[in-house]
Amino acid sequence: MTLPDLGAIVKGMSVTLREMFNPPATIQYPEVKKPVFPRFRGRHELKRHENGLEKCIGCSLCAAACPADAIYVEPAEQTDAARYSPGERYAKRYEINLIRCIFCGFCEEACPTGAIILEHDYELSYYNRRDAIITKDKLLVPPPAPDQSTPRAIKDPGNLYAAIPPVKGGVE
Amino acid sequence: MPKVTIDAKTVEVPNGTLVVEAAKKAGVEIPVFCYHPKLASVGMCRMCLVEVGTPRRGKDGQIEMDANGNPAIAWMPKLQTACTTVISDGMAVRTDSAQVADARRSVVEFLLTSHPLDCPICDKGGECPLQNLTMAYGPGKSRFPVESKFHNEKRVPLGDLIMLDRERCIQCSRCIRFQDELADDHVLGFQARGRGIEIVSLSTPEFDSKFSGNTIDICPVGALTSRDFRLSARVWEVHDYPSVCAHCSVGCNLLICERDHQIKRIVPRENEAVNAIWICDKGRFAHHFTTAPDRLTTPLVRKNGSLQPASWDDALDAIVAKFAEIKKQSGASALAGLGGDRTANEDLYLFQKLFRQVLGSNNLEHRVGWSASNVGVDLVRMYGAGADTNLGALDKSVTALVIGADPEEEQPVIRLRLTRSVRNFGLNLIVANGRVTKLASHAKQSIVYRYGAESAFLLGMIRTILDEGLENKEFIGARVNNLDAVRKSIEPFTVEHCAELCDVKPEKIRDAARLIAQSPSFLILYGREAMAAQQHDPAITSSIETLLLITGHVGRVNNGLIALYPHNNSTGAMDFGLLPTHSAGRVKSDVKGLSAREMLSGKARALYVMACDPAADGNFTKPDLLVVQDLFLTETAKLADVVLPAQSFAERDGTLTNTERRVQLFRAAIKPIGESKPDWWIVAEIAKRLGATWHYRNSAEIMDEIAATVPLYAGVTYAALSDNVMMPRPPYGQGNPSDEPTEIAMGELENVSSGKQWLSVAESDASAKFELFWNEPRGEGREAKNELVLAVARSLYDRGTLVGKTKIVQPRVPAPYVEINSQDAEQIGVGDGARVRVSFDSRVIELNARVDGHVPPGTVLVPNNLDGTAALPMGAWVKIEKV
Ligand code: SF4
Ligand code: SF4
Ligand code: SF4
Ligand code: SF4
Ligand code: FES
Repeated sequence: MTLPDLGAIVKGMSVTLREMFNPPATIQYPEVKKPVFPRFRGRHELKRHENGLEKCIGCSLCAAACPADAIYVEPAEQTDAARYSPGERYAKRYEINLIRCIFCGFCEEACPTGAIILEHDYELSYYNRRDAIITKDKLLVPPPAPDQSTPRAIKDPGNLYAAIPPVKGGVE
Repeated sequence: MPKVTIDAKTVEVPNGTLVVEAAKKAGVEIPVFCYHPKLASVGMCRMCLVEVGTPRRGKDGQIEMDANGNPAIAWMPKLQTACTTVISDGMAVRTDSAQVADARRSVVEFLLTSHPLDCPICDKGGECPLQNLTMAYGPGKSRFPVESKFHNEKRVPLGDLIMLDRERCIQCSRCIRFQDELADDHVLGFQARGRGIEIVSLSTPEFDSKFSGNTIDICPVGALTSRDFRLSARVWEVHDYPSVCAHCSVGCNLLICERDHQIKRIVPRENEAVNAIWICDKGRFAHHFTTAPDRLTTPLVRKNGSLQPASWDDALDAIVAKFAEIKKQSGASALAGLGGDRTANEDLYLFQKLFRQVLGSNNLEHRVGWSASNVGVDLVRMYGAGADTNLGALDKSVTALVIGADPEEEQPVIRLRLTRSVRNFGLNLIVANGRVTKLASHAKQSIVYRYGAESAFLLGMIRTILDEGLENKEFIGARVNNLDAVRKSIEPFTVEHCAELCDVKPEKIRDAARLIAQSPSFLILYGREAMAAQQHDPAITSSIETLLLITGHVGRVNNGLIALYPHNNSTGAMDFGLLPTHSAGRVKSDVKGLSAREMLSGKARALYVMACDPAADGNFTKPDLLVVQDLFLTETAKLADVVLPAQSFAERDGTLTNTERRVQLFRAAIKPIGESKPDWWIVAEIAKRLGATWHYRNSAEIMDEIAATVPLYAGVTYAALSDNVMMPRPPYGQGNPSDEPTEIAMGELENVSSGKQWLSVAESDASAKFELFWNEPRGEGREAKNELVLAVARSLYDRGTLVGKTKIVQPRVPAPYVEINSQDAEQIGVGDGARVRVSFDSRVIELNARVDGHVPPGTVLVPNNLDGTAALPMGAWVKIEKV
């Protein structure tokens, strides 16, 4: 063993010694969770307008933009007696297959109403492949107030012009 | 031909061509909104503006040359609309200049100021000309604040089938022009002015037309959309399958748009020879029967008096055992097969093969219910109209006689195409019937004869031709025998005498005859009312034949005969010998089998009923063994010993032969319902269990066998039938389907035709000799007091099993009615809309009276496929009283 070798060991050990006094980098997940960046792309959510109506109008543009063919939308016509969203059309079925999804965010970009947003939930694991297909009831955020849920009857005839807000991501 | 130069490309086009069409030929795209190749030009949208110039001429009238020695062009000072400008020799057109691009950009910008831009919720989105042309030629950005958008009413129902969005409309008037020019229902119009101009319905009920759905296809925006398809899928998400309509005998080409094994919508598929780009509303909307909840899903076998679900094996074994037993006891002649003329050729072929080859019985029929009057097996085989006769493009060299037919109700698209021929190409149309039909309004000569005296009318024309020496002597000399005998027999039938018999003025008969004889081409289209009469009066058959032969109008394109049958495969049922008299290929059989009436009255001990419902018409005696194969538990199926679930046209492949003898292929679009099987599979299974060595893996193999063994169908294989099939989008998984909108909306038509017609004897054998024959006419001219002769017609929409399953068209099914002439109505003392009692023999029914000038005095008309009007006999004498 030569002298330079010994020097290297001392150098290495000094790093170890120094780190012993630093706070640990390991996070005790799941007890402790690391915050994500604001533009982090996690599981999707379907947003609502301030009055509780769904922003999604069932246009399937997200599905068309999706490179992984992960989204399935079945639209339908709605009436004022059972209104889901502004305008004539709403998503009767909306499903995302999270195993197919590559979290690219194209759906969010394609959406004309800002209805679908990739949010911060990343805890996506399943015991069963079928559970990876999340349906509209799980995707939709809760209404702002209990009486603002959908579908609900709207007294005056719905505003058919408001289906697509003039400014992307805007509200009615 | 004149030469035109478009963007430096020179093309030769015929005189009268529009610049926009010449550009297509040069491969230059000129964007259009209001122009559509199938409609008259109006120049309303200004999208097609181009620079146009003509060769400059000097004072001496000579074309001046420029420095390079090319003709100098005098450009017009302003842009011209390519859709209204007709080409001239030497014309030059520029579509690639900055001025043109600027004009297009401005037109799009202008259209969009009043357009809601709600593409994400619009059913047209993805196949919308406005979307496409905005992307291609629009400004990309609006200079108008969004709040200044012009708003108009959305979601305006325009009748039961169509939804109008007034703010999406770009006022191109394509819909109005289609209704006025082709559908001939003047039910749409513009109202108000300027920006607020809007489409309104002018009829009650709203948008009252049998062709309304076509306006959805040609509307260049999402202003007119289908209330059936409405917001139920995006057009790029559906898969398109080529199909053929399951209803009438026109055989319109369709696309079934499927998503998740549901038929989302049906749209026309271009086939210039059959339906061009149109279909009727029945073909478009009445498809819900395919997935109706009461479809049969399993075989049923009668146990202890009731029908119980059973496995295929049990059901088939039960049939085979009973067939064998009855054959042993009573011989093969006790077995009979009744096939409907709604099933595919493959099914019909195997059905008759089962009976003729495996069971050894010639008892086959298809003529029950509406098809009872399907006649003309030999007439069509001999003189069927020449191949490639295009009913939508008959010009003034052609005379067409439509006799005893009501195509508006029975073959709607044929009516539409004849209208186009008359309007656009100058067809000479003669319409003859015992009443006034819609088609008659386009006729050069409209003739209303007395029902029952059809043959007198035809004889009157023959007599005129012979008397005036108008016959085609050359043709007769070379090909026709026996004319002298006919001349002799027709001696007592002077034109005046015939005229009296059929109650038509002699001059009208003579005019019609002269027109026919002097026309270079002549077609007879004869319909169900004439066929019904033909069964009692064989002189109709011989007169039709004589008329064609003495004028020599057979065996060429636009000449000969078209029999207008009721169902999508009536022709196929005759081609494949579902007849006691003819076997496959329309070959006369040696032994005559049982007729439909004999089968149903119990002469057959075992009856196999495929896709028809004879018990619904009454007079049905249940045989010892009754097997029914159908989509639904029909009246006949309720009595059956074994019921077998068949598949609809949407679930399987097959071919159909339309009324013009054109064989066409349709493809499966959705999954089979329940355990249902294709008809051919079921027939083949039964044959196998009876010991036949049949190995058909799919319907294409059956067609291969047909193509090889039935001479009429030589070469008609699936491969041959797949030629030129127009698909508007690339197949699923190949290319981006949303890149290719339907050509129909964009007006980018290919004018191709697909399918294969078999040739009549007159056409395939240029040296065939024909024999004239004579039948004494049996027209009756009875005049009775208080009694009126009953004519039976058909309404397009009915209460039948197929239309009945589509809710959206139900309001279109008329309430049962009787049409009465105003003279008779006055005598009875009723007006339009009154309730009347119609009695004949011992039956009495109550109906609404319609007094609207469609029937002559002495005749009443009842469509007998409405509630409670079934089984009314044609030609009966009825009494009508006020209720
Ligand atoms: S994030 Fe990307 S892959 Fe996932 S659903 Fe959206 S578009 Fe599809
Ligand atoms: S999430 Fe957005 S893009 Fe997707 S269907 Fe709904 S509105 Fe359309
Ligand atoms: S409804 Fe459609 S077809 Fe009719 S005028 Fe408006 S845009 Fe044209
Ligand atoms: S005309 Fe006849 S074949 Fe054509 S769509 Fe209508 S019902 Fe079908
Ligand atoms: S003005 Fe020519 S297409 Fe409309």
